[in-house]
Amino acid sequence: MGKKVAGCFRVMGAKISAAKKMSQKRPLISICLLYLSYIIIFSGFSGAWMAAFSEQEQKEKIIGELASFLPPAIEGWRPQAPDELYTPETIFNYIDGAGEVYRSYGFRWLLVRRYEKEGQASIIVDFFVLGRSEDAFGVFTHDLEGERVAIGQDGLYKGGWLAFWKDKYYVSIYADQETPELKKAILSLGQAIARSIPQEGKRPALLDWLPASVDRNRVHYFHTLPILNYHFFVMTDNWLELNETTEVALCRWEKTGGAKTRLLIISYPEESIAQKAFRQFLRNYLPEADEAGLARLEDGFWTGAKVEGRLVIIVFEAASPEEVESLIGQVIEKVRREAVFKMS
Amino acid sequence: MGQAGLTRRDFLRLTMMSPLAGAWVPTWGRKEGQTDPSESKVVLIRHPEVVDDRKKVNSQVFQAMLDEAVAALFGTKEPLDAWKLIIKPTDIVGIKTNVWSYLPTGPEVEQAIKRRLLDCGVPEERIGIDDRGVLRNPIFKQATALINARPARTHYWSGMGGCLKNLITFVPNPSVYHPDTCADLALLWNNPLIKGKVKLNILLMLTPLFHGVGPHHYSEQYVWPYRGIIVGQDPVAVDSTGVRILQAKRREHFGEDRPLQPPAHHIIYAETRHHLGVADPSRIKLIKLGWQEGELI
Repeated sequence: MGKKVAGCFRVMGAKISAAKKMSQKRPLISICLLYLSYIIIFSGFSGAWMAAFSEQEQKEKIIGELASFLPPAIEGWRPQAPDELYTPETIFNYIDGAGEVYRSYGFRWLLVRRYEKEGQASIIVDFFVLGRSEDAFGVFTHDLEGERVAIGQDGLYKGGWLAFWKDKYYVSIYADQETPELKKAILSLGQAIARSIPQEGKRPALLDWLPASVDRNRVHYFHTLPILNYHFFVMTDNWLELNETTEVALCRWEKTGGAKTRLLIISYPEESIAQKAFRQFLRNYLPEADEAGLARLEDGFWTGAKVEGRLVIIVFEAASPEEVESLIGQVIEKVRREAVFKMS
Repeated sequence: MGQAGLTRRDFLRLTMMSPLAGAWVPTWGRKEGQTDPSESKVVLIRHPEVVDDRKKVNSQVFQAMLDEAVAALFGTKEPLDAWKLIIKPTDIVGIKTNVWSYLPTGPEVEQAIKRRLLDCGVPEERIGIDDRGVLRNPIFKQATALINARPARTHYWSGMGGCLKNLITFVPNPSVYHPDTCADLALLWNNPLIKGKVKLNILLMLTPLFHGVGPHHYSEQYVWPYRGIIVGQDPVAVDSTGVRILQAKRREHFGEDRPLQPPAHHIIYAETRHHLGVADPSRIKLIKLGWQEGELI
């Protein structure tokens, strides 16, 4: 670069001399302006060039780091094309609107690799890097269909698709069809990737407050309203004040008689926000709730809500008011016990 | 009921009012006893041989289905007379296809449409077929008529990918329509490149996708050969009819009511907020033609 700058100065110097010779009467100020404009243009060009070069370098560095988690080949499948890297801004170019799910969990990077084998379907690995292990867990809970497999900290397999999470990484391995050979390759690939992630990560603390009767394999963890409505449509307006700072757990029980009770626990960053969300929910969704925050709705089932510190706890479609109070009570008891434990 | 948007309770109330209707649209906003005169006409046609066991489309059968459906939609005896009601020889026509790799519109469908445009007297050089390149395609930039054709499928973020959503490639930044799981997708139809130009919507129900898994949202086990197409001038009514079929299939397959995830509320809002068309099945005049086995609605 030093040579380029020196060369540029020589060129500019030559131009300035030529300008002087051509007209001794040219005002000095125009020559200075010409000189300054060369400096500005050249600096801008070199700055942009440097920035682009740095961005490319950084991208290649990240690809290299993430690719180190993926094996070079598995059961005869090998990558035939370069890996692709996506960010929260570019993910829509890859998976369209589905990208919003991963953005809602604050994903940082997505590395995509396609493994190919002649005569076989491609295997696509989507390797997501989240900011926290809790969010990797959350992404995993977005789609809980399939049989549990012992890969990562939790793993699911269904019809050509394997998903698992470990530490702050969520991994999806997918083929658009299923054969025994494909299934074997997908599971082997998953095990290899999971082994390459050196440590495990924490699950959300919110899970510690769930009632004992909750099936932990059916809990959804997330932050925002669209994801709540995806799993269990409640409302289009965000009266519950959900956003990236709120932590939400949604559990369900399926019972005889058509009841599908849901428990929603929302942890807010501050008590004042929890209070506001609670009031808005009651006013707009349960205006007929009694003093205990309970109401029997149009379908004959009971819904109730309570606020406890930074938590709002809601039970939907319970068979009885006693069930609502029992579930909410169990959560509150665990929260208070933990608070006492921490104080002591 | 909420002040502005929908709540779960709105759907509960509708279910209590009409549990067997199969309707999925709350009828809020209308006063008791008030009837709404607006109605939309939609044609559903099916044929057992339009796709084979490998999902290959039979071009001849498809052409015949399209012809019969369009004739029924416009109430003409001859299909070409129907096409000539919406397409002039001087038109510049874009066939808005869909190239999603797992379930594309396909050349057999595109060519069947193109054939009828040529029969209407539109010169070939004024007919374009495109999806993701429409903003760079001079035909679409100057189009006076659009034919909107794509397969029906569930969608990871909007609930359903149908005719309303198919035109998303007319905007440089589709994610602006993502908030609230694409609730206001109908606003897309105000785009000057689109507004007033869509002459026909064709929702392919040949091999629809009724459920998705994972980030790629496609699995062969959730595709079934319904062997139908839905045509209409009202994209809202066309999509509403398609959603009913998808929901009915889900009910049949899973053995329980499994609503779309997320709900395709953009179709409802296309009527109630944006007045683009009719989503309420009770105000959609559905003409059913052809094969009836496994009809589901």
